[in-house]
Amino acid sequence: MLNVSRPTRVLQVAMDETDAELVHAVRRGDRWAADRLLERYLRPCRAVALAITGSEADADDVCQEALAVAVERIDDCRDPEKFGKWLMQIARNRARNLTRAHAVRRTVPLDETTPGHSLSPAAELERSELRDRLLQALAAIPEQHREVVLLHDLEGWKHREIGERLGIPEGTVRSHLHHARRRLRLILAEGDTTGE
Amino acid sequence: MNDNEPMNFSALDPERDPARWARVVAGARLRVEAALAGRRAPGGVLDMVHAWSRLLLPAAAVLALVLGAAGAVVGGRSHALDRASEARRLAVLTGHSISRGERPTGLQLSFAVRSRRTP
Repeated sequence: MLNVSRPTRVLQVAMDETDAELVHAVRRGDRWAADRLLERYLRPCRAVALAITGSEADADDVCQEALAVAVERIDDCRDPEKFGKWLMQIARNRARNLTRAHAVRRTVPLDETTPGHSLSPAAELERSELRDRLLQALAAIPEQHREVVLLHDLEGWKHREIGERLGIPEGTVRSHLHHARRRLRLILAEGDTTGE
Repeated sequence: MNDNEPMNFSALDPERDPARWARVVAGARLRVEAALAGRRAPGGVLDMVHAWSRLLLPAAAVLALVLGAAGAVVGGRSHALDRASEARRLAVLTGHSISRGERPTGLQLSFAVRSRRTP
């Protein structure tokens, strides 16, 4: 059974095997290895997709599709040690394609407005408002800043991991993270003062 | 607030709604398994034959030419001409097949040996 849960748990469960080992196993048709890659990367793929689409429903679709495409085309992964970077690029491309498609035919996904079942209506409304404000604030900062801040603060990746998997220097990751947080806090604070 | 402190993105955490996230994970798993099943198992017998055929077909063509030439030396002139013609047809057929990335069928090979004309 898959255990795609919070980052700390994922790290405990699935960090024993390297990406390269898992990729080679998937090439041999190993389902267990494919599950391990899914555990490791489904949430980060979603974070990258969310940074680009700005829609949770779209991000859910993109992360599923990206993993499936990666497994289907696993032989095209030239450097198995950099599977994460390759996968993130697949997720990014899929998310951009979806965003372009939505630009042509804009619809509001049903799931976006479907309340969670575990909260009271009032609590869900409050959370929904907070979610909308976060998404709006994220939309106001550069795309790469969004990716970095979500992978770090939502997924718990380290600066080095983000740098390797997004293909940018670690120093740039730190800089993007710093600027993203500052800008997001400013936007959210302005929203508070204007009564949003 | 200090910009070194993480932002609180819990409202965007996919697991805030465990049932929905479980559906996403299950969907991803189904898609991954389908993708895995759709992949052709590498290293099968057909792959080996295909890999070897690229080497064997030119070698067979060269061998046929050599045999044809040998036939010309050992046998009579007309017999040798027939053999040389067969070898040439086989070489042409092989060349065509390789250029198309295919293997000649038994029927094509038989036709090349028996025919008086180049296939």
